[in-house]
Amino acid sequence: MADTKEMKKVLFGPILDNNPIALQVLGICSALAITTKLETALVMSLALTSVVAFSNLFISAIRNQIPSSVRIIIQMTIIASLVIVVDQILKAYSYEISKQLSVFVGLIITNCIVMGRAEAYAMKSPPLMSFLDGIGNGLGYSFILICIGTVKELFGFGTILGFEILPLVQNGGWYQGNGLLILPFSSFFLIGGMVWIIRTFRPEQVEPKE
Amino acid sequence: MGLKAYLEKIEPNFEPGGKYEKWYALYEAAATIFYTPGKVNKAGTHVRDSIDLKRIMIMVWIATFPAMFFGMYNIGLQAQDAIAAGAGTVPDAWQAALFSALGGDLANAGTLGLFFYGACFWLPIYAVTFAVGGFWEVLFASVRKHEVNEGFFVTSVLFALTLPATIPLWQVALGITFGVVIAKEVFGGTGRNFLNPALSGRAFLYFAYPAQISGDQVWVAADGFSGATSLSQAASGNLDYSNMDQWMSSFIGTISGSAGEVSALAIMIGGLFIMYMRIASWRIVAGVAIGVAFFATLLNMIGSDTNPMFAMPAHWHFVIGGLAFGMFFMATDPVSASFTNKGKWAYGIFIGFMTVLIRVLNPAFPEGVMLAILFANLWAPLFDYFVAQSNIKRRVARVG
Amino acid sequence: MSAKKESLGKTVGIVVAVCLVCSIVVSGAAVGLRELQQTNAKLDKQTNILVAAGLYETGMSNDTIEAKFEEFVVPRYVDLDSGEFTEAPSPDYDMYKAAKVTETSTPVTNSNVGFQRRPNVASVYLVRDEAGKVTRVVLPVHGSGLWDLMYGFLAVDADGKTVKELIYYQQKETPGLGGEVQNPAWQEKWDGKKLYENGEVAIKVKKNANPDNPHSVDALSGATLTSNGVQNTIQYWVGEQGFGPFLKKQAWRS
Repeated sequence: MADTKEMKKVLFGPILDNNPIALQVLGICSALAITTKLETALVMSLALTSVVAFSNLFISAIRNQIPSSVRIIIQMTIIASLVIVVDQILKAYSYEISKQLSVFVGLIITNCIVMGRAEAYAMKSPPLMSFLDGIGNGLGYSFILICIGTVKELFGFGTILGFEILPLVQNGGWYQGNGLLILPFSSFFLIGGMVWIIRTFRPEQVEPKE
Repeated sequence: MGLKAYLEKIEPNFEPGGKYEKWYALYEAAATIFYTPGKVNKAGTHVRDSIDLKRIMIMVWIATFPAMFFGMYNIGLQAQDAIAAGAGTVPDAWQAALFSALGGDLANAGTLGLFFYGACFWLPIYAVTFAVGGFWEVLFASVRKHEVNEGFFVTSVLFALTLPATIPLWQVALGITFGVVIAKEVFGGTGRNFLNPALSGRAFLYFAYPAQISGDQVWVAADGFSGATSLSQAASGNLDYSNMDQWMSSFIGTISGSAGEVSALAIMIGGLFIMYMRIASWRIVAGVAIGVAFFATLLNMIGSDTNPMFAMPAHWHFVIGGLAFGMFFMATDPVSASFTNKGKWAYGIFIGFMTVLIRVLNPAFPEGVMLAILFANLWAPLFDYFVAQSNIKRRVARVG
Repeated sequence: MSAKKESLGKTVGIVVAVCLVCSIVVSGAAVGLRELQQTNAKLDKQTNILVAAGLYETGMSNDTIEAKFEEFVVPRYVDLDSGEFTEAPSPDYDMYKAAKVTETSTPVTNSNVGFQRRPNVASVYLVRDEAGKVTRVVLPVHGSGLWDLMYGFLAVDADGKTVKELIYYQQKETPGLGGEVQNPAWQEKWDGKKLYENGEVAIKVKKNANPDNPHSVDALSGATLTSNGVQNTIQYWVGEQGFGPFLKKQAWRS
């Protein structure tokens, strides 16, 4: 079994050093669509993290049994089942949010982070490490989503998690909500800005000039 | 001590290793206003014209003057009309207070008085644009150790001219920040931006604060007055296309709208000037005109029972909204437009087509010029690519 | 991934095993949680109706919502042509599904409401006070906004003429502009407005409406097309083709 240092790297590395969104540029689609409110971003982060972690765990556990000719199909089956279970749980216990997330929970199946980690890491690593790797990548994804969700909700609606921070003009306050941030595509600018910031502090992430 | 001698004396301070090394960009910007740069080519040159970037930019800046001055006069005129018609009151804004503190009386103001009233509203917008945009420009120039680029003169005046008189100044600051930083500097500064920075800044405001700027409501510097712009009147079928008096006043510009976009006539004077100076490409302008005229006429012929915009004839398209301004000043920005001659035609026609398409067929946006030009900006390199490829193919065929 | 696990029998065996396990997990989750989900969907609808009925308070527990709904709200069905109450055509009748079937629906004529057919029988919800007297009638309304259909409830006073609430619970309008149809400050403007004047539908959504005018409601700023959509929706649903006959007959009084 790997030592603690290795585990730490696997768990926390994806947050800044090897972020799935900012460096690997995976999973952008959902990061654009559901970050308008922090609450949905949080739930989505949680859903994705649990799916990646458990899909990594299960795939890694049976990795020596999976025939390589059908390994993608097996991975998909496991991931899809996990996503459906998560979707069902959300519908049962958090109906309002699952309505807002609508198809995006289902689309976790196609989220490149999940497949990418299963194929790249879980297929060749022991279960515990794979599980940690899943959590780590989930955390990296969550980190970006939460940052963007916070900025978008605060400056778009003047609230954080539904609590009013900047009272809006429409409700008799002084803050004029920024309509651009309410629209999904503004996440492009924000993700771009975050990539810029991360690479300023981690210059080794900058691609060499062509 | 003469100015030149003084500038030369302080120059070493700004050169690498000097005391104010960081401020070289500012020094250079100020010094070259008075004198041509001291750097001289040592090898053979390819200069075909004695004009340089700074002179080009100043030329464009001067070309906006007719539209700018008329715009300021018109802000006053629209406010006076609205108040005289009993539709509004003198606004409770510091701009209006400044105007009356300087002895102005809106109700009885003559041409000059109206001009000053407009200036009280528009000049602060321009000043904020210039100060905030200039700040970013100098900051990036200092960090990257290059010279402040004069392109910003044009960007700032064009941006300020596309704004409504009543826009809050903090929105102006945000808009120009977005335009300069996101549309230009992150891509490497002037010459490397693939979007027009002035329009990007306006697009940012358009999506961020649509209630103030989307062209749905009239922009008049009078309180309590709100109506529809010519474009939204047209969209709801309340514009009579056969009324040539109204067309004439739209052409001259005594209608409500953003400061710089109202007068097609004044814009045309400035536009013809920069076209004559070969700064703006006549191919692009002609392309836009053809695109609009052709597609608008086509839609006239198709017709629609439910959408009155289908019936708008081409000559109306040119005089209302921001088409004239976009056509002469925005589309012709040499950096974000196509580069080859054929590419320019395609680029212009595409803008004209998209403008009419968005105006007529999109229910959400009454105005289409801004989005059409930004969209065409993205396509401009592709047009050039195809032109270059077809040239290569032809030559290959000829050579065998 | 050595060659030894590539035998056909093993491959098929693994695939079958994985599929079996996965399907058991998925169906287990689906069946086990179905009841909870249906309760949620029902609660969601009941909450919206309670809001329209003016009985909802923030932070109500699920049980309270259900109890309040049971106590004060009576779901009924209305034949839109005659305006009379009728029996539910089927136990789990859904008027939006019925609108898609030719036999149970009627084409819309002369209206920009945004859909082609309306159901023959609509659900309505009668709101009663403690004494059992009907105080409000909650009518489901829908119509197109700028981007898509908007669904909502219109609560009308027992006099059949005065609006109490207009709430939208499902819409895809531009956030911050048309999306403001869900803003409570705007919803409040509907309270007390009169639907009819001289027997004609007179209520209008228009810009800079005078708040004292009982027939006009201020339009959403910057969202002309959404406002027009609301106008068309209300115009249609309280008019002759919609709940007009029902509101005139006031069948809930008998």
